Amino acid sequence: MTTTISRRQFIRVSATAAGGLLIAAQLPACGGSKNLQADSGDFSPNAFLTFSEQGEITFTLPRAEMGQGTYTGLTTIIAEELEVDPQAIAILFAPADKAYNNPDYYNQMTGGSNSIKVHFSPLSQLGADTRQLFINAAAERLQVSPGECEASNALVTHTPSGRQLPYRDLLTLAATLDGVESTPLKKPAQYKYIGKQRQRLDAAAKTFGQAEFAIDVAIDNMLVAAIARPPVFGGKLIRFDASSAETMPGVHHVLAVDAGVAVVADNYWQAQQALQAVIIEWDHGKLAGLSSDSLFQHYRDAADADTGDKVRRDGNASKALAFASKVIEAEYTVPFLAHATMEPQNCVAHVQADRCDIWVPTQGPDLATVIASNITGLSHDQIHIHSSFLGGGFGRRILHDYLAEAVSISSAIGQPVKVIWSREDDIAHDSFRPATYNRLKAGLNEEGELLAWQHQIVGPSIMRQFIPNMLGAHVPEAMPDALVRFLGKTAGKAMGTVIADGSCTEGADDLPYSIPNLDVRYVHVDAGVPLLYWRSVGHSQNAFMVESFLDEAAHAAGSDPYQFRVGLLKEDPRRRAVLDKAAELGNWGNPAAGNRFQGIAVHKSFGSYVAQVAEIEIINEQIQVKHISCVVDCGLVVNPDIVRMQMESGVIFGLTAALYGEITHRDGRVEQSNFHDYPLLRMNETPTISVHIMESDEAPSGVGEPGVPPVLPAVANAVFAATGQRLRKAPLRLGQAQG
Amino acid sequence: MLSLTINEQSYEVDAAPDTPLLWVIRDFVKLTGTKFGCGKGLCGACTVHLDGIAIRSCITPVSAAVGRPITTIEGLGNEQQPHPLQSAWLEHNVPQCGYCQPGQLMQASSLLASNASPTEDEIKSAMSGNLCRCGTYPRILKAIQQVAASNTTAMFYDATAPQDVKA
Repeated sequence: MTTTISRRQFIRVSATAAGGLLIAAQLPACGGSKNLQADSGDFSPNAFLTFSEQGEITFTLPRAEMGQGTYTGLTTIIAEELEVDPQAIAILFAPADKAYNNPDYYNQMTGGSNSIKVHFSPLSQLGADTRQLFINAAAERLQVSPGECEASNALVTHTPSGRQLPYRDLLTLAATLDGVESTPLKKPAQYKYIGKQRQRLDAAAKTFGQAEFAIDVAIDNMLVAAIARPPVFGGKLIRFDASSAETMPGVHHVLAVDAGVAVVADNYWQAQQALQAVIIEWDHGKLAGLSSDSLFQHYRDAADADTGDKVRRDGNASKALAFASKVIEAEYTVPFLAHATMEPQNCVAHVQADRCDIWVPTQGPDLATVIASNITGLSHDQIHIHSSFLGGGFGRRILHDYLAEAVSISSAIGQPVKVIWSREDDIAHDSFRPATYNRLKAGLNEEGELLAWQHQIVGPSIMRQFIPNMLGAHVPEAMPDALVRFLGKTAGKAMGTVIADGSCTEGADDLPYSIPNLDVRYVHVDAGVPLLYWRSVGHSQNAFMVESFLDEAAHAAGSDPYQFRVGLLKEDPRRRAVLDKAAELGNWGNPAAGNRFQGIAVHKSFGSYVAQVAEIEIINEQIQVKHISCVVDCGLVVNPDIVRMQMESGVIFGLTAALYGEITHRDGRVEQSNFHDYPLLRMNETPTISVHIMESDEAPSGVGEPGVPPVLPAVANAVFAATGQRLRKAPLRLGQAQG
Repeated sequence: MLSLTINEQSYEVDAAPDTPLLWVIRDFVKLTGTKFGCGKGLCGACTVHLDGIAIRSCITPVSAAVGRPITTIEGLGNEQQPHPLQSAWLEHNVPQCGYCQPGQLMQASSLLASNASPTEDEIKSAMSGNLCRCGTYPRILKAIQQVAASNTTAMFYDATAPQDVKA
């Protein structure tokens, strides 16, 4: 294997350089046309690939890299058909441009664990067509038939004669040839890169401390801002006294902003120090009296007052329950959860008269553009979003509140500004995974068969809050702001009433179990707490209700929880297969030691099936998770090791939520502030994890989120096995009030 | 002006003595490999070596570091001369988002410098101050155990060797 370019040149992936290079390589024309730039000699056959005469091959990554592996996975896909080693490709983060839309969303959001799924075929085709273009060019140059040529390692070889031409020598000629389409793709048996274990392409940069995150960006003449935000969400600034702060070292400005009060200084430390010296008076607003207790009471009252909108109805659950020989019922609750990305929120904005440059961690550069455009009045074309590696995403980087702050302040003071959120800002002023309240009822017959299942879900709708933020990216740029806002509000109101927000009920509405009478209902209640998508979204809540209450039904029937599920999964072979494999991998029925207990759960989300067996010990009244066996069916696998690490990732992320995660409110304020009171799982609390990937020829489905949902119920079920305590509230705490 | 020695280079910085070393490293010396995660010494993302020992630079005033050798991730190793832990990190495909990784490596290297053959419990005890939101702990543990077991000193990363990852 030869690499035509030193990897060292691409180790330092700089957001600023990335933005600049991309603007040069990227002409305004969209995806289909080929561009050969006379001055640089660079050839861009499409919006994703650029070839230089020096042999540099650049791939513009259409999706964000937040640890989940798109940087490696998508590059591998196109490299395979292009016949170039993925490690020989330089990767740039895409700017805001429709060419890089997520085909599932019609915008540029990265999420839903769908990057591999949506890009597999299109990028494979692009790679193959580009390869064929070079083959055609080589054949033309050598005056031979393309059919006698093949490509490998960015080199075309005329097989009969052995003559070779590297891609870099064919650029000018390739630019003149007709475009190529529908080149036949490889069969999986021919794959050199897909499906083989490959190192992550960003592993070296991240291991040598060379990977640049937006928080690392510094530009000339930049100041740094720290912001005091209303302690209660929705509160407003009444007045502030900056007389002391203004005299402190490095301080340039203290000003009121939409978000609160900003101190702008030479550096972050100075800004933060001075911020502490600003005396601020707030009008706490409507949520001043909010407490977690009052919130959940509100949910209970809503459940009493309204049975809810129909989400799924099979048969007649109420009737079946009336005739059941055994009925069980329970209340389940889950709290708000913070994202807690390790890289706190941040943004560098440089607003000028005719352009605006923004360096920001984002899961949606086009959404970011709209926000910036609305604030500055600049057109979309005048706004340049420079993306970088994200120090964690989990859904947080879809909401660009931190970008709005930086853009407004830069606009106001006429200088580049970097906003950094402290960890306290990040926890308290997050937009959270919703808290929900659930009532479940199940009925069994004398034989212990599950005949009826009722689930009433009470909680808020993310989409209803979020849709105004997203709408701007979908409507024509020329549409007046006021109209976009109006549409956003209207659409938001429609959510949860006329149109169901699927994220509230996902995982609860698609029960695969053969239960003849099913009744799932949703009651919309919104206490006003800000909400956002959070890794696995509705599945992060509903897998708990479903897999734990199903466990309750199994025990009510006197059945083994694994066998009980097997009996109900006759119609779902893929789910049954992962469940069986997990039971095998986890030695179901044979825990590793006498003081260890097992719990099982299986859940499908984002197209993938995941089953887990948790093995726990109870030590000093504490739940200690010793081992998680995890089986995943995600269809065709591009990078097995990345699939494995995403399962490890989902398990550990899910365990933090299962054992610790809780955002609570008192007097309207979020009570948590840093990692001492919003703890994350640490190495010494982490179980061993074994992962098995099911062999599959199905189309690829996601792995970023699917590892998360089964963990909480698997552990809760193990806790029941260990103690007889049925924990129906997350985070799981022994001795907590039931239900 | 404060005199600092970072990765064997001298710097003169005009920073207030109570400025946390983290911000001096990032904002004055412009070495951004060391990360800000919590500002309270709770997450370990800011870990650097002072006199070869891991400290949390976000809660260490720069004045305490004057005249003492400081090592950041940039000084731990590079592609041509990786620290053995960095080679192991690559073999085990450790990083995901990568943000916590410099702190993890600085903490791990400090552990091995003082205890070349730590037990699993000793590793966990030493490393549990370093948070990872992405869940790389199992691979970090394996990478540290591998280096501890191998007893090697300096190792060179062979860029021409096959890039296959250990099963």
